[in-house]
Amino acid sequence: MHFFKKQWIVPYLFLAPALLGTIAFKLYPIFIGLWESFIYTSYGGGVEKRLFVWFENYQYLFSDPLFWQSLKITSLLTVIINPLQISLSLGLALLLMRKTKFIRIIRSLYLLPIGIALPIATIVWGLMLDPIDGLFNSIIGVFGIPPQPFLISEHQALWCIIGIATWKGVAFWMLFLLAGLEDIPKQYYEAASIDGAKTFDKFRFVTLPLLRRTILFVFVADTAANFVLMVPMIILTKGGPLQSTNVLVYEAYRSGFFYQDWGRSLSIVTILTTITLIVIGLQLLFLGDSREGQKLK
Amino acid sequence: MINYFKKNWSIYLWYFVILLGLIITILPFWWGIAASFKTNPKIFGELKPLSLSTFIPGNSFDAYFAIFENNFGRAMLNTFFVSTCSVVGGLVINSMAGFAFAQFRFRGDNIIFAFVLLSFAVPADAIAIPLFKMMRQIGWFDTFYALIIPMLPNGLIIFLFRQFFLGIPKELTEASRVDGLSWFGVYLRICMPLSIPVTLGAGLLLFVGQWESFLWPLIAAPSPELHLIQVTLGRFATEYEAIWNQQFAASSIAGLLPLIFIYLFQRQFVSALTGIEQK
Repeated sequence: MHFFKKQWIVPYLFLAPALLGTIAFKLYPIFIGLWESFIYTSYGGGVEKRLFVWFENYQYLFSDPLFWQSLKITSLLTVIINPLQISLSLGLALLLMRKTKFIRIIRSLYLLPIGIALPIATIVWGLMLDPIDGLFNSIIGVFGIPPQPFLISEHQALWCIIGIATWKGVAFWMLFLLAGLEDIPKQYYEAASIDGAKTFDKFRFVTLPLLRRTILFVFVADTAANFVLMVPMIILTKGGPLQSTNVLVYEAYRSGFFYQDWGRSLSIVTILTTITLIVIGLQLLFLGDSREGQKLK
Repeated sequence: MINYFKKNWSIYLWYFVILLGLIITILPFWWGIAASFKTNPKIFGELKPLSLSTFIPGNSFDAYFAIFENNFGRAMLNTFFVSTCSVVGGLVINSMAGFAFAQFRFRGDNIIFAFVLLSFAVPADAIAIPLFKMMRQIGWFDTFYALIIPMLPNGLIIFLFRQFFLGIPKELTEASRVDGLSWFGVYLRICMPLSIPVTLGAGLLLFVGQWESFLWPLIAAPSPELHLIQVTLGRFATEYEAIWNQQFAASSIAGLLPLIFIYLFQRQFVSALTGIEQK
């Protein structure tokens, strides 16, 4: 290794473009968000422009019922959508481990939504869930169920968005779980069989422990992704009806781009980033193995 | 492999659940593509009452001609341009960083590597708003620069290249050094030609990432001349709310291309994404 020392700068040169890019376009914006949430006033859409308001934006936000409503919707969405997507993708991955004739084709078909961008899925599902002409109302009509309002109902809109995001998400996260399941050596199951383990025992004592890291990774990544889920809100509901789909990230988007209220927008982004990091930290703390804590994947 | 489904009845249950799931998965594709070949009155007429013809493609190409008069071709060209630049630029800078992490021990290497991985864990959409403000400060707002350059550094792809380069025997690179090749020569002539599979998978991730991006191009480049394909789709959905067949036609075209690429290179795509080598 002696001749590396003279050229200590070489690795930094190889690293420079990607590292400087990461600092400029990932790290620096987080600081802009934090900094500008302290310096722009937020009252009434930035009519009053004052520098250095410190925590006024946050105080204003915490006294705003719209913010709390938005936080409530975000929490509701997070608590429902993540366990739903993880359990569905794990269940499907287990089902698709069965070796039959057409399993390759069946798997490929199940993975189709991965190749479909969320805006496309949103548009097609939006038309399927159309309250007047939608395919869904025609289908449930066959079973004698009266037409439902779906996306224009404050009680159903959030569930429709959960459905759309889950249709797209399950295929994606299942890909990781399938790869993880395929990676478990066959011998472990054979050994368990010799010891007289039943199907459920094998799942409980072989599959789950060996899949633990994959599940943890999927759970954390899925949670982070769903905290910023807002494409269906932008295209279909605009946060409505009656704020019922107005999650924090959409409220931040709307405050900034519709009302030019950047103080408020960036304060919400900062709060959301903080919540995301705390939740992910808690997941890693409680679900992660201490030995695995240092490895990301 | 574990056999969860031994008894007969459980096999029927398996088929039932799998079939139900397949219907839910495929229905939007099937109906959307079928309806894109119909005129609007035909789409609406066949929805009530529901019949077999609801799911059979029509024979009208009106919607496909109409979308290309609606600036859809421009959006496709833009997206091709932006995706190609991102693939080339992203592969170059991230593979170089991966090479640095795999080949050298240097001051701060572990900390920098952890930082790169962590930066990838922050979702791009979470920093989109402050990044937008930054683009305005440096004058890149509403330019191709804003669409391409911030998306180039990618922790996952650095990680993929590092893992691959770690597998190349040190004897090979050191022998090339002794033969008088510069470090850049080792990277370009020795390591890169060996890494075609990982390059393919990483390039596909970068391409699909740009092809499917929506929020960032929506806020960073609002001019119609700079619209990318998903933004144009979103615009169709809100501006031509009642013109269903055009929405379906545009969605079909926009959705088809990444699907073809992903299925052609399924193995490389899956190993790049999951980090697990496919058998």
